[in-house]
Amino acid sequence: MNAQLDAFTYDDDIVRKFLFATFVWGLVGMLVGLLIALQLTYPALNFGPILSFGRLRPLHTNAVIFAFAGNAFFTGAYYSSQRLLKARMFSDTLSRVHFWGWQLIIVAAALTLPLGFTQAKEYAELEWPIDIAIAAVWVTFAVNFFGTIAKRRERHLYVAIWFYIASVVTVAILHIFNNLSVPAGPLKSYSIYAGVQDAFMQWWYGHNAVAFFLTTPFLGLMYYFMPKAVDRPVFSYRLSILHFWTLVFMYIWAGPHHLHYTALPEWASTVGMLFSVMLWAPSWGGMVNGLLTLRGAWRKVVDDPILKFFVVAVTAYGMATFEGPMLSIKSVNALTHYTDWIIAHVHTGALGWNGFLTFGMIYWLLPRLFQTKLHSIKLAELHFWLATFGMILYAAAIYSAGLTQGLMWRAFDDVGRLQFPDFVETTMRLMPMYLLRAVGGSLYILGMVLFGYNIFKTWGARPATYEEPVIRAAPLARTFPDTPTVATGGAWARFARAGWHRRWEGLPVTFTVMTALAVIVASLFEIIPTFLIKSNVPTIASVKPYTPLELAGRDLYIREGCFNCHSQMIRPFRYETERYGEYSKPGESVYDHPFLWGSRRIGPDLARVGGKYPDLWHLRHFDNPPQITARSIMPPYPWLHKNPLDFASIQKKVDVMAMLGVPYGDAVANAPEQARAQAKQIAAGIAAQGGPADLADREVVAMIAYLQRLGKDIKLAAAGGGQ
Amino acid sequence: MRLTDIMSNAGLSSYAEVALILFVLAFIGIVIATFLPSRKREMDRAAHLPFDDAAPTSPTQKGDRP
Repeated sequence: MNAQLDAFTYDDDIVRKFLFATFVWGLVGMLVGLLIALQLTYPALNFGPILSFGRLRPLHTNAVIFAFAGNAFFTGAYYSSQRLLKARMFSDTLSRVHFWGWQLIIVAAALTLPLGFTQAKEYAELEWPIDIAIAAVWVTFAVNFFGTIAKRRERHLYVAIWFYIASVVTVAILHIFNNLSVPAGPLKSYSIYAGVQDAFMQWWYGHNAVAFFLTTPFLGLMYYFMPKAVDRPVFSYRLSILHFWTLVFMYIWAGPHHLHYTALPEWASTVGMLFSVMLWAPSWGGMVNGLLTLRGAWRKVVDDPILKFFVVAVTAYGMATFEGPMLSIKSVNALTHYTDWIIAHVHTGALGWNGFLTFGMIYWLLPRLFQTKLHSIKLAELHFWLATFGMILYAAAIYSAGLTQGLMWRAFDDVGRLQFPDFVETTMRLMPMYLLRAVGGSLYILGMVLFGYNIFKTWGARPATYEEPVIRAAPLARTFPDTPTVATGGAWARFARAGWHRRWEGLPVTFTVMTALAVIVASLFEIIPTFLIKSNVPTIASVKPYTPLELAGRDLYIREGCFNCHSQMIRPFRYETERYGEYSKPGESVYDHPFLWGSRRIGPDLARVGGKYPDLWHLRHFDNPPQITARSIMPPYPWLHKNPLDFASIQKKVDVMAMLGVPYGDAVANAPEQARAQAKQIAAGIAAQGGPADLADREVVAMIAYLQRLGKDIKLAAAGGGQ
Repeated sequence: MRLTDIMSNAGLSSYAEVALILFVLAFIGIVIATFLPSRKREMDRAAHLPFDDAAPTSPTQKGDRP
C-alpha cells in the first residue's frame, strides 16, 4: 500500500539568522582577542577598569566559544537536522526564542564581564541570573530539537544527529552542575563547592565543554557537510559509529588532566591521564574517516576553497587531538602547565578545527541559503590562505613562547639556584613571540573581514523572495516494516510484541538515555569520591576561614580577574618550591568558594604571597606596577585606591559563606564591624610606613588584606599550632 | 555519623571495577553490533542519508524576509 506523502517546507530563515550571528560575534570575539594579545606587549592598552586584561580575557573566550562556535553549531544543526530528519523544525516560535534568547545572553555576557561580574570559573564566568537564562534557552533548543526528531520522516538517525543529541544532553548536565551556587546579590554568587571539589567540578566542566561544545557538535557538522561538499558518502559509516561511542564513553573522564600535580588526589589525576591517552584512538579514527571521505576527490581540493577549509579543519582536529593526549601525560604536563603552550593548543583547536570547519560550512551554505552564486570564490580562496598563514604564525610563535617560559621556570644554575629568579625575566623573553602572535591573529582576522564581505555581497545578490521548495516525504509508518508477527495469545507474546515496537519507535529515546547514562555514570565514579571519601581531602587544623575584610578583598580579586594571570597552586617540584615556597595542600583551600587555583601564569603564583611584601609595597604596586617591578606587564589598578569599599555588602557575603558550611562564628553577627576594624589597622600600618593616610574605607585595603593572608595558615601550623 | 564517614567506610571501590567491566562489555557489544556483516546494507543506506534530502517536487514562490 502506498502511504500518503506529507508536503512540507524547511525553515531556512532561522539558519540565515544564526549564520549572520556567527559572523558578527566571531569578528567581535576575535577583535577582543587581538586587543588582549596586544595588552600583553603594550600594557598601556589596558584602558581603565572595564577594558583591562583580567576582565576582557573571559569576554574573549566566552565570545569565541559560545557566541562564534555556538552560533556556528546552531547554523549547521538547524540546516542539517531538518534535512536529515525530513521535517521542518518542531516549532518556528521555539527556534526564534532560541535565536533571540542566545543573542541576548551574549549581549548580557558582553556587558557583565567587563563590569567585573564573574564567577571566576573558566568558561563558566557568567553570573547566576545569566546561567539560569542559558539553561532556559538550552532547554528551549532541546525541546525544539527532540520535537523535530519525534516528528521525523526518516526512521534511521544519521550519525550527525547522534553527535547533536550527545551535545545537547551533555552540555545541559555540565552547565547545571558546574554552576550550582548560592546568590549573594543580584549579580554575585558563591559556588557550592570549595577548593579541590570545586576545581574538580570546574575542570570536569571545562574539559567537557571543549568535548561537547567544540568537538562533538562540530563532528556532527563534519559528518554532514563534508560528504555534501565532496558529493560522496563518509568513508566508513561504521567507523563513525565507533567514533561516536568511544568519545561518549571516554571524553567525560579526561577532565582531571587539567589539574596534574595540583592538590587533586593522584588517583584522579592518573585516571584523567589514562582516558586522555586512550582518546587519541577514536579522535584519529574520526580524523582519518574525515580525510578518507575525500578519497578519489583530492583533485577537487585544488579548485574548491570549501574543501580546502574542510581538509585543514580535519587536520587541525587531528593535531589538536594528538597533542591533547600528549599534554595530559603527567611528565609532559609538568613542563607545559601554566604556560602559553596550552594557549597554542586551544588555538590550534579553535582557529583550525572550529574556525575552518565553520568557514567551509558557511561558504557551502551561502549560495544555497541566499539562492544565488557565491559572490567571489577568489576572495574565499584568499581568506583560506590568510587564515592558514595567520594560524601557523600564531601557533609557531606561541608554542615557542610556552616552551621558552616553561624551560626558564625550571632552569637551575651550576650552584643549584634558580637561573631566572625574577619572574619578570621569563615574561620579557616572550615579548617578540607575543608580537608575532598578534600579527598571526591579525591575518586571521583580516581573512574574517573578507569572509564578512563575501557574506554581505552574496546576501546582497539574493532574489526578491526566497524560493521555498515543497518537500514530499512519507510519514513514518506506525510499525517498523520488519516487525515480526507474534502469535496472539499469552501475556508474554503481547509483552514481547509491545517491547519490540517500543524498541524501534523509541530509538532516539534509548539513544539519549544511553548517552546520558555513559556520561553520568562516568562523572559519578570520578567526582563523588572527592566529595564523600575523607581520605581525598585531608583537613589542616590551622586553616581558618578568611576574615570578612579578606573575603571582600577576595571578591575584588575575582572582580578584577586576577586569576587569569596568577595561579594559587604551587606544584610539588623543587623549581616551584624554590620560587614560591612550600607546595599547596588540598586542605588549604577548603574554604575557597570558588577555588582560585588558576590555569595560566602570566604573572607569578600567589599561593604564598602573604607576608612576602609590606602593605605599602602592594599599595604602590597596584597604583603602578612597573614602578615597583621594572618592565612588569601587569596593568595598573589605581581605582582600587580611589573606590570606597562596600562594607554594607560584606554581611551578606559572610552569611552565604556560613550557609555553605564555612565556620564563620561570631562574624555572622557583625561582619562589617570586624571588617572596618581590620581595615583601620591596615590603613594605620600603611600610614606608619610612610604611605598615604585615610585609606581605611578604600577597596585597596581589602585587597591587601586578602593578599597578605594567602598561604599564611599553613605556616602557623609549622610554627606550632597557631591560634 | 556523617555521610562522609559512611561513604569512607563502605568499601565502595569494587563498584568502580564492576562499572568498568560493564562499560567494556557494553562497548564490545556496540562494536559487534556495528560490524555484523548482516548490517552492511543498512549501514550503506545510512551513509547515503545526507544525499536523500527529498528533492523538491514543485517549487513555489513564497514570501520570505531576507
